[in-house]
Amino acid sequence: MNRAGRTHSPELRGLELALLALPVAALPHAWHQPPWVTLLVAAAVLLRTWLHLRDRNPPSLGVMALLAAFAGGLTFLQYGTLFGQEAGTALLLVMMALKLLETRNRRDIVIGLFLGYFVVVTTYFFDQSLLIAAWSLLSAWLLTAALIQVHAGRTLQRRHLARQSGWMIVHALPFMLILFVAFPRVQGPLWGDPQRDEVATTALSGELNPGDIAELLQDQTTAMRVQFHGPVPPPRGQYWRALVMTDFDGRRWQAEGGESSIELPEPGDLDEVVAYTATLEPTRVRYLPVLDYPVSLPDNAEYRDNHQVVRDRRIVNRIQYEAEADLAHPPGSDDALSRTAREQALELPPSAAPRARAEVALWRATHGDDDRAIIQAALDRFAAAPYRYTLQPPTLEGDATDEFLFETQAGYCEHYASAFAVLMRSAGIPTRVVTGYQGGEWMQRGEYLRLRNADAHAWNEVWLDGEGWIRVDPTAAIAPERIEAGIGGLTGGEGESVPDFLRRDGLGWMQQLRFGLEDWRDFARFRWESWVLAFDPERQRELFARFGLDATDWRHIVTALGVGFGLLAVAAVAWSVWRRPRRPRDVADRLLVRLSRRIERQHAGLGRQAHEPVVTWTRRVKAARPDLAPIVDTFAERYNQARFAPVRDDDRAEHLTALRRLAASDLRKPDADPPLPRTN
Amino acid sequence: MRAGSLALHKRFRSHGHRLREGVIRWVTRRHRDDGSEVTLGRDRIYILPTRAGYTLLAILGVMLLGAINYSNNMAFLLTFLLVGIGHNAIWYTHRNLLGLKVSALPATPTFAGQPLTISLRLADTRGRDREALHLRIGGYTSEPVAVPARGQQTASLTLPALGRGIYHLPRQRLDTRYPLGILSAWTWLGLNTEILVYPQPVDPGAAHAGPGDEADAQRRQDASTPDHIRPYRPGDPPGRILWKALARTGKLHIRETVAGGRDTLWIDWSAMPASDTETRLSMLCHQILAAEAEGRAWGLRLPDQTLPPGQGPAQRERGLRALAEFRFEPIPLPIKESTTGTKK
Repeated sequence: MNRAGRTHSPELRGLELALLALPVAALPHAWHQPPWVTLLVAAAVLLRTWLHLRDRNPPSLGVMALLAAFAGGLTFLQYGTLFGQEAGTALLLVMMALKLLETRNRRDIVIGLFLGYFVVVTTYFFDQSLLIAAWSLLSAWLLTAALIQVHAGRTLQRRHLARQSGWMIVHALPFMLILFVAFPRVQGPLWGDPQRDEVATTALSGELNPGDIAELLQDQTTAMRVQFHGPVPPPRGQYWRALVMTDFDGRRWQAEGGESSIELPEPGDLDEVVAYTATLEPTRVRYLPVLDYPVSLPDNAEYRDNHQVVRDRRIVNRIQYEAEADLAHPPGSDDALSRTAREQALELPPSAAPRARAEVALWRATHGDDDRAIIQAALDRFAAAPYRYTLQPPTLEGDATDEFLFETQAGYCEHYASAFAVLMRSAGIPTRVVTGYQGGEWMQRGEYLRLRNADAHAWNEVWLDGEGWIRVDPTAAIAPERIEAGIGGLTGGEGESVPDFLRRDGLGWMQQLRFGLEDWRDFARFRWESWVLAFDPERQRELFARFGLDATDWRHIVTALGVGFGLLAVAAVAWSVWRRPRRPRDVADRLLVRLSRRIERQHAGLGRQAHEPVVTWTRRVKAARPDLAPIVDTFAERYNQARFAPVRDDDRAEHLTALRRLAASDLRKPDADPPLPRTN
Repeated sequence: MRAGSLALHKRFRSHGHRLREGVIRWVTRRHRDDGSEVTLGRDRIYILPTRAGYTLLAILGVMLLGAINYSNNMAFLLTFLLVGIGHNAIWYTHRNLLGLKVSALPATPTFAGQPLTISLRLADTRGRDREALHLRIGGYTSEPVAVPARGQQTASLTLPALGRGIYHLPRQRLDTRYPLGILSAWTWLGLNTEILVYPQPVDPGAAHAGPGDEADAQRRQDASTPDHIRPYRPGDPPGRILWKALARTGKLHIRETVAGGRDTLWIDWSAMPASDTETRLSMLCHQILAAEAEGRAWGLRLPDQTLPPGQGPAQRERGLRALAEFRFEPIPLPIKESTTGTKK
């Protein structure tokens, strides 16, 4: 045991680099692991470094076993299990740290470094950003350099190691790309439900409760990004429908999945159809936000009879989908409303909103059967002061609708949508609440629309016979700028604050710069996410289809891989053929060429022929120019020494220096003769 | 029971060993005799994963399963990057041997009972640094050798002492695991070099001296007066007769003094006071060394040949070689073939 622990023993060559590479690989975990894991890893690394520097042995096997049991126990206490993403990662980190601590020989280092690669891959459970990708490359570079040093048989120069490891990674990149694109993808998970612990992260919960606080509006994370394949529709027209809510209990609206799927409507005017590609962040629910009104959907999504779009499974990874919308084609315009659907869309708890009902009764008395006039009356009511749009409304205690309509008179889209629906239903007009996204920011750089969770919106659809479900957005009545310019277009009146990141008005140059940077940053992020992270079996199928291949047929996969690797091999061969003659064969050779050229310039015909041995050449030079004898003789001798003798690096360097000096020496005749005129 | 299973195990091992040997023989049938120099081409470099390689493969398999299960594209990317690195390591490791010029350096002759050093010269011809090359012969492995681009380096292996004789190198193996240790590339070499092992010098006087004479022998050696033994000739002073040798061989031998000097010394097989071949050769060897140290001309008489008198390194080498070759057919170095190949 004592024998193996010696510092600078060939067995521990590479340990220093491993002591650098492993903490680098583990660093991103510090943000996601409990502090004790981070501390334990740091302590193990520092302790091992100290032991190494002081030429001490690692702790004995007994101590290590005790430490391992202790760390395993801590992990179990923390998570209640040793498996799964979080606990498994913690255990892996702890075991890597202990392996590093007990390193006694080359095998231990190698296993530690292999664990290091594993540590890098577990980072992606928690973070898949571009930054982490760059960090992973750095980690892989260091880990590979350490692996090279371990097997080098001598201590390599740091620069040499860096280059060697760097080239190994660079050479592996094309390989990685080919496999990434063409490796047969299957839809996970293979076992278990990897995301079962996680809650929905979308702004669009299946419920709408106007009494809640405006928590959502603070959420600046991206919900989805949209690229249009044609003219971009105006903001006013962009309603991204996700959930349809019909069920109301007097306070809370709830979404249902719909009962059956129905056919998509035919687009009215083909020129008006808006086609787009959406990249949706994982929501962990099945609803798919689509631009109103959908006329074409991805294959794995269906259009339900309540006019919401549902995917065949929960969206646990970032997905991309293509769809089309006809902005002027409301759902249901071609059909009549079924009895049950009508009843559902009119349902109100008998006790709900008595004051609102009384008000609506007055409107009915005034306008008679004219539903449109009733709708207008409600919108006019909102548009008139003292209703105001605010992101920080008071909470509602009693009957939510009445309290909002007649007392607080302050709220955001959910309040207005809910109250409007109650008013309409009281008037006997079938109405529902629709939630989704509206607005968003146009990103100049990448020419796409970014919708944040803060862009979540709620509006209404009312049924008008012969016209279908017509969209009415009561928020537009009270705060038209919310609809025109997105949520950032709002100016917080009366000392109210719109969160900074939402504001777009009256910006100084600093903020302009900030938004400019944000534009770029989001562009890079978007490209990363849409090209790399969103690549899934469906995208693979689409990509293959573009080359006339079928990604579900293994023969086509083999073809694609074969073509990819074939091209790679051709490129590799071409590269080596192209590189070889360009690389100076040898410094001594190059200097020989230089000297020969200079002599040729002085004395045509005296340059060395391509296959003339150096000795023959020097003899020829000496015959013609005896004065050059010392130069060419010394050169020839040094040249032979540098090229052919078994010499140490230092000696070789000395020879080369001498050769360099000789090749540059003065070749003119020693007497005062003028330079020979060029004869040919 | 235990002994039985052990014997069985041994038998299997020896079977396995024989099988392995047969396979290697078949594989290397075209390269059995490489002469004294060979440049490694593609046709003789073999490559297989090491145990670490299989471990990494298993780890990558787990990573790939994880990537599929969690539909994690970055995990796919890293896994495929490592697959790429591992795949390219095949080229890197292979390239570490490809185009290497290996030549056998003449082995410095040793005396029986002294460790033997075998050296190969490794030279790069392709302008690439070579790292961590190991020379293996039998179960013995050299220290890792690095060869600079367009430079050369010697790989040496020290083997334990051998008996007197003339040997040739058994099959050599040059291998490397650089850069990642996940693959091992190797080549079998049939380089030919002659290895001479001279007899261990034995002082004919001291060899038969009893304990009482040891101090005497020591004294003589301290005075650095080499001795020469030759059969008694009439007229030799009786005081120089080796009585102990007479007791053993029944013949008269005398010790000749150094000062005698100028005339040719005949070192004679039949004159050695020993009966077995090896001891006689050892004594002859001692005599040759003594004569050379003294700077005296000498000749050698063996039963089947006679070396004319002479003096100097060439004569010494001829004489000693004659002793090494005496009634000895060249055989491969009798060193144990390692079964694991990882012994250091």
